[in-house]
Formats: sequence, structure tokens, C-alpha cells
Amino acid sequence: MAVIEAERVAVEARPWWRRAWENLRSASGALLFMSPATLLVVVFFFIPVVLIIGISMTNMSTATGFQNWKWVYLENYRRILKHPNTLQVLRNTLMYVALTLAFFNVGMALVIALITTHIPRRAGLLYRALWLLPRLTPSVVYVMMWKYMAADAPYGIINRHILQPLGLATTNLLPIYPWVFVILVNGFIGASFGMVIFTSAIESIPREYLMAALVDGCTPWQRIRHVILPLIRWPLLFVTTYQTLSLLTSFEQILLLTEGQFGTMVWSLWAYERALSNYWGNFQWGFGAALATVLVLIGIVMAVVYMRYFQFEALIQEPKIETL
Amino acid sequence: MEVHLEHLTKRWGKVVAVDDLNLEIRSGEFVALLGPSGCGKTTTLLMIAGIYKPTSGYIRFDGRVVNKVPPKDRNVGMVFQSYALYPHMTVYENLTFPLKLKKVPEEEQRRKARRIAEMMGIGHLLDRYPAQLSGGQQQRVALGRALIKEPALLLFDEPLSNLDARLRLTMRAEIKRLQMELGITSIYVTHDQVEAMTLADRIAVMREGRLQAFATPEELYERPRTLFVAGFIGNPPMNFTQVEVIQQDGQYLAVNPDMRLAVDPDRGSRAAGRGRVIMGIRPEHITLARDGEPAHLEAEVYLVEPLGRDDLINARVGKETHLHFLADPALKLRIGDRVRLRVDTSRVQFFDPETEQSLLWS
Amino acid sequence: MDEGALRTGLRPRQMYFLMFLMTLLTLPIVVGYLWIFISTFSRRTHGLIPVDIEGRPFRGLTLENWSFLWQDPNIWKVTLNSLILALGLTVGVVLISAMAGYALSRIRFPGRKGFLALTLILHAFPSVTLLISIYFVLRWLARIPVVGRGLPLIGGIGYNTLGGVILVMVSLQLPLGIWLMKGFFDQIPWDVERAALIDGASRFLVWRKILLPQIKPGIAALSIFTFIAGWNEFLIPYTYMTQQEKSTIATYINSLLSETAPVNYSQVAAVGLFQLLPVLLFFVFTQEYLLSIFSGGMKGGA
Repeated sequence: MAVIEAERVAVEARPWWRRAWENLRSASGALLFMSPATLLVVVFFFIPVVLIIGISMTNMSTATGFQNWKWVYLENYRRILKHPNTLQVLRNTLMYVALTLAFFNVGMALVIALITTHIPRRAGLLYRALWLLPRLTPSVVYVMMWKYMAADAPYGIINRHILQPLGLATTNLLPIYPWVFVILVNGFIGASFGMVIFTSAIESIPREYLMAALVDGCTPWQRIRHVILPLIRWPLLFVTTYQTLSLLTSFEQILLLTEGQFGTMVWSLWAYERALSNYWGNFQWGFGAALATVLVLIGIVMAVVYMRYFQFEALIQEPKIETL
Repeated sequence: MEVHLEHLTKRWGKVVAVDDLNLEIRSGEFVALLGPSGCGKTTTLLMIAGIYKPTSGYIRFDGRVVNKVPPKDRNVGMVFQSYALYPHMTVYENLTFPLKLKKVPEEEQRRKARRIAEMMGIGHLLDRYPAQLSGGQQQRVALGRALIKEPALLLFDEPLSNLDARLRLTMRAEIKRLQMELGITSIYVTHDQVEAMTLADRIAVMREGRLQAFATPEELYERPRTLFVAGFIGNPPMNFTQVEVIQQDGQYLAVNPDMRLAVDPDRGSRAAGRGRVIMGIRPEHITLARDGEPAHLEAEVYLVEPLGRDDLINARVGKETHLHFLADPALKLRIGDRVRLRVDTSRVQFFDPETEQSLLWS
Repeated sequence: MDEGALRTGLRPRQMYFLMFLMTLLTLPIVVGYLWIFISTFSRRTHGLIPVDIEGRPFRGLTLENWSFLWQDPNIWKVTLNSLILALGLTVGVVLISAMAGYALSRIRFPGRKGFLALTLILHAFPSVTLLISIYFVLRWLARIPVVGRGLPLIGGIGYNTLGGVILVMVSLQLPLGIWLMKGFFDQIPWDVERAALIDGASRFLVWRKILLPQIKPGIAALSIFTFIAGWNEFLIPYTYMTQQEKSTIATYINSLLSETAPVNYSQVAAVGLFQLLPVLLFFVFTQEYLLSIFSGGMKGGA
């Protein structure tokens, strides 16, 4: 017995290196399952984050090639501050994010969620399904629809079916109202995100609350205002913040629709265009990376904030098997 | 197979789930781990199965330390409360899964499956999926799956809790019969003391991770060593009252403001002179005094709970001492009735209120 | 008509007004799709009206727009590429996230919590901002002998190869996949896995034989979602492959749209419908699956 006692003490008072080794060994089983994901995360997230910050401090461009570049440290950031377009792009970006968010990603999403939960179920499902379509449609095809929507008479749908019958002057609407179309194109995709979340939030409100409101003599509008909206304020906050980040950084639709012409250049597209795709074939990787780094840093900060907010600990259960 | 647990301890962070557990289970024995939920009994079982790793201490199978042996190499079979059948496999596939993993030839798999299915009475269900079976049938399949690989040790984790009362009785008898026939060492986790009493050769009572007692059912019932065991074993549970035992006129009296009860001198003498102690009396050791028979206590019926075969009477002695006992419903006792009670004083128990240890047995 | 809790308390007239309003809001989507269908089978369209060469309305229905199927050899090249991209993406995302999701849900290992937190962060993190530096990573991968740019079918894993595009897309989709898969695994009772371990299986076998079959609906949902994402993707192949008209359907269509000559919308619409068709089929037949991904995946577990 005494021997066993001694052994037990020995097991409990393992030196740190012994514990580290045992940790490593118990990790080796998980390693098999984790390694592909880990590898990809390292190669396509970790390295790129470090890389983009690094590149942003160089003058790397088509002119310097991959060999003859130099470290310029914060020079690119200074150039951003001094650049004649910076203020305009910043203003564009804020406007684009704010309006799309307000009218579609949150506003329209909320309207759809509220309406489709108040009408017969099957009709509600149909409308919601239709609103999911833009998100599932190949972006190239989707943007083409909108281009045709805006095209000049006699081809364009708006010109042909609305302006022409009213006897108004027709023209290609895209260059005239570029922001309207940028916001519409993004908004019709973006609304479905909030729609899905709001709908499931509304549908999971305990029925007693809704019944009680009716019994208390609420009109449907009062019920929305005083019962439903306060109960879904958490999803509202989530969708608003999450979509802010995604609007801030996405540019695919704008690229396809206007390529940033007609004064629709936004920050993320500016970075992309400078570094990877422009007419002149003059790729300014360093400058573009500096533009992107600004967004990367915003993204990291906001993503970490989400994790804190969304009660990360509550989402994790401890594994109830210890063997491998 | 012999199973020895030596100083077995399991901690989750700072919480101690199993604390320095020592248990020697003999080959062929049927042992129940009994305790309230959260007492560490299932954790112990899962450590024996190899699912959890002990924080310290040893698990020995036939003397060999198996702490680091993975579950698949321990040769144990286990039956779960949730049955844990594989929902995407038929009954036949469920039964033969352990054999398939051992690469047993198909022909032998079929033979063994047929034999087990017959033994468990599920021969006609082999092509069904678990979702198409009743709870009782599922549990038979689970039992069959545990037995088919002829394990040296059978583990049961509350296997009857999800069954309805009637089925529970049948399955209980069946498990007992199978275990006796096959002679496989078995460890059975339950919170139901009736199950433990009827099935087990010996019962290990656990509480908050510690072993309270490890003994035969009779021993636990007659000679409980701790207050907890005394209260946990037996249904309805033992009555406890605070008394002081004094010696007077060659008699030992258990005294408190509500009563004076002369107790068996053998037992009374061990509790005498210790100040306040806790006296335990099992409800079944309290009876109504017949006419002319001398009574030990007088009481007033406080509450009557009909149990069917008996009425469970809560009677008040004096101001605030309550005793439970069983009475014949034909007597039609009503609240407020005065009753005269006799106590089998040779079977009362005494406990130290501080240590909660028995003053009679150690 | 069924009445839910919310659907009470409205007068019929209010209800019809709401449905009318909803129809109005949804109109642009319906009109857009309508145009695609009409245009595909017309010589050209004025608004939604098919016209012939002289502009006479409701004439000029034709199948000629579909001639690209046999006249342009590139279409089959890009279709095959898009298919490889979508399938490769699906297999990659499902397999890798099923593995990682299992480990994160069920295996106790140091760093598990950290990786889970990371998954959640990456899920919210806007990965498009990294396109510039991923470009450098791909150029570097391209320099690895053989696998860099000498593989059959996918070309390699570096810059300007289909494999490289797949690899990037797998990585970008991975946080969502892992998070979803972890959620699916979380729902399987522990006892089933314990039983399998005691029955003699290793954890790898448990994963493959016992757990994966039980989360088939989840795997199906993620597969469909991922397949559509791969089939639709424009930006990644556009950015990392140099010949638009030979990369994927999406870039092929874009190259048609950005030609200097006036765009023949009817022809492009036909190609667009060609790309849209499989998506629509999935949409019609597997909506519930897709919705489960949207509601589960988008929330990021919140």
C-alpha cells in the first residue's frame, strides 16, 4: 500500500516537462483530425495577415517587381492621408455602408420578417424564398439583371416599362444614379441575412407573450412596437454590427456593376483595384496592402468583439470522452 | 475477472468527482454502485470502461493496471441508460458491430448473433432499426450487443431508468438471471436502492465522490455505518431524531423533550453518556400497539399517505418529533387520531451527530 | 390557411394590403428572373417584351441564343472547370470541416478552446481583405515543384491554377464549415460514441462509421451550400486566374459582358441561365437544407 501511495504522489507531482510531453501526446490524436484545417488556416489566414501588414510597409509594385522593392515603413499610410481621393472614398464608403444597412440589410430585412410572419404561412415562406434567390444567384448573372434593368430604352426594363409610358426622357440610368443601383444591387442580396435571422427570432418568441398582447388589446402595430421589437433587439444588434463589417469590406457587386466608375469607388474596391486589377496594369501592392490593412485591422478588432459579445463560453461543452 | 480500484480519484478542474475510492470486486460478483445523482458513480464506471482517465490512483483488472489501456482493449461490455444503439444500423448490425471490429468471420458473426438474439428474445427484430423498437426491446438489443463479445466485465449505467415501472421489473429479473447464468463480473450503477438491493451481491454506496459503505444488502440494511447510508438504504427512509441516551434504573432511555424510549441495552449502552446523538428507527420497526399491549410511545396522526398496500403514517410525538411508519389501510387512520406505538428497540441505530458515523458499527 | 400566433389580430383587408406591399417589394427580383427567361429565348428584348430584328413586339422567339453550347468550345472548358471547382470545394470543405469539427466538439486536447475561438473570429472576419496577400501566397505556392503548377485537371495549387483557386476558397469557407460541423457533432449523444469505443472502435472508426452517418442531413446541407458557392464564385477565379474566358463560367460570362463590342444581352442571358439552372434546381428541391445553413451558419452560433 505504501508503495502505491508513493506512486500516486509521484503521478500528481509530475514535473512540467512531463506534463508538457503528456499534453503533446494527448494532442497527437486530435492532430490527425485538426491538421488539414490548421494548415489551411495558417497558410491562408495567418500568413496573409502578417504578409499584408508587411507588404503595406514596402514600395512593392509592378515597377519594382518582386526583387527590387524597399522597406518604406509608414510611407504608404502617409500617402493615404495625403491622397486627393482619400476623403471622397471615405465619404463614399460611409454613405454606401450606412444607406445599404439602413434601407436593406436591417430595414428591409426587418420589414420582410415582420410582414411574412403576419401573413399566411405559405405565402410568407414563398416571399422569403424569393428574397433568398439573389444571394444564391451567381453574382455575374445577378448584376447583369440589374444592368439590364437600368439600360437605356428601348432595352432597359425601367426605361421601357416605366419612363417611356410616362413620356419621360429615357437614358441609361446607371451613370446618372450610380449609388441608387449600387445600393439596390447590394441591398437585395444583403436583406436576406437579416430576414432569416429576424424571422427565426420572431418565430421563437414565446406565444404566450404574443397572445397576452392581443388579450391586452394591442393593435398589431402596437404589438410590434412594444412586444416584438424589444424582444428581438439582440438579433437586431447582431445583424447591424455583423453586416456593417461585411459591407465595409465587400466589393464584388460594385466591381461587377461600375468597377468604381461614376464616383462609386469605395475603400475595399480601391485597395483591390490598386493592388490586383486596374486598367493600366500598374499594380501597387504596397499601397493597396496599406489600404487593405486598415480594413484588416478593423475586421480583427470587430471579430474579436463579436466573440466576446456572443458568450463564447456558453457555446462550448467539454468533451465527455478522454481516451483517444 | 477481478476488478480492483485503488485510491481512484477523478478531478474536473477543482471539482473532485471521485475521491480516493478503494474497491475490490471479486470475480463473478455483481456489484452495485449506489448513490444520488452527482455522487461520482457514473464517473467511476466510465473510468473502469476507459472512457475517462483517472486523475490518480489505479484500476486493476486481474491485478494488471489498466489505467492507460484504451476501452477497446479492456474486454468490457457496457449497457447505457439511453441504450446508445447506433441509429443508422439495424438490430443485426448493432449486434455484430463489436464482432466486425474484431474481424470475426461472417459465418461466426451470424451464429453468435442468432444465439444472442434468441437468448434476449429479439430474434424477430433483427432487420429493424432502433427507432422502430420499443424501449424494452432497445434495451434487450443493447444488452445483447454488450454480451455478444463475451466480455470479462459487464458495466451497467442505470439501464432501467428509461423503462416504465412494469418493464423495469421484468428486465431486472432478466439481468439478474443472465448474470447468474453467465457468471460475468458486473458493475451496476443506479440511484434506485431497490434495484441495488435486489440485484447486487454487494453494494457500494457513494456520496459526493466518496465511498460510504461497501457491503451486502443485508449488512447495509441492518448495520449501516454512516448516517447517510442509513438514510439512503430502505424505503420509506429511516426516521431520525435527536436524543440523549441516559442510564436509569438499569435501563437505557433515549430521551428528548418529546419522548422517553427505553432501548435495547446492547445498543443503548454504546450511545449512553455521549450527549446528543441521532437515533434512527426504520418505519417498518414501528407498529401499532394492539389493545392491552403496552405501548412505547403515544402519538397523534399528522398526515396519512395511502401507498396502496399500506398507508404511510406521519405521526407526531410530543411537540415536534415526527415518525413515519406503515399501517394497514383497513384501520382507516385519520389525521388527529391518537395512536399507541411499539418500537422494535433491538433494531434502533445510533449515530454521532458530528461525524455522522454509527456508534454501533465500525 | 393556417394561422400562427402572429397571424391573428389582423383584419383581412390589412392582410391583403400586406401581401400586396410584399409583392411590390419583391417585384424587382421576379422581374429580373423573368427577363432572364424571356430574353434567353428571344432575338432581343425591349424591356420584358421579346422583339425581332425589326423591333416588332412579341416576335423573334428563337433557340439561337443557346448556340454557344455547340459553337463556343470554351463553354465546355469553363463548365468543366466550374464543376471541378464546385466539387473540389465541396469535398474539401466537408471533409476538412467534418474532421476538425469532430475534434473540436469531441476530443479533449490542449488548444481546443483557442481553436474554437479562432474559428468564430475567422467566421466573422472579412477574409476578402486578405486577397492581396493571398496573391503572394499563391505565387509562392506556384513555385513548389510539380504540385505548384504541374497537376492534371486542377493545374496545380499555385497562382493561376484551378487548384489554387479551390484551395483559397476552401480556406475561406472553412470557418463556417467547421462551426456548423461542430454544432452537428455536439448534438449526438455521448453514450453512442462511448458505446462504440467500448465495442472496440478507435476514435477514427467511431467518427467514420458511427458519427458521420448520423449527421448526414447536416453534411448534405453543407455540401449543397458549398457546391452552390463554388459554382457561383466569381471574385476568386477572376482575381487569381489570368484568362477570364477560360477559367470558370462566371468569369466567362463576365468576359462576354466586358467585350468592347455592344453586348448581346440575349446571348449572355442564355449563358447566365445555363449557370443559374443547377442553382435553381437545388433551390427548388433542397430549400430546407439551405435554410438550415443560413439560419445556423449565419448566426455564427449566436
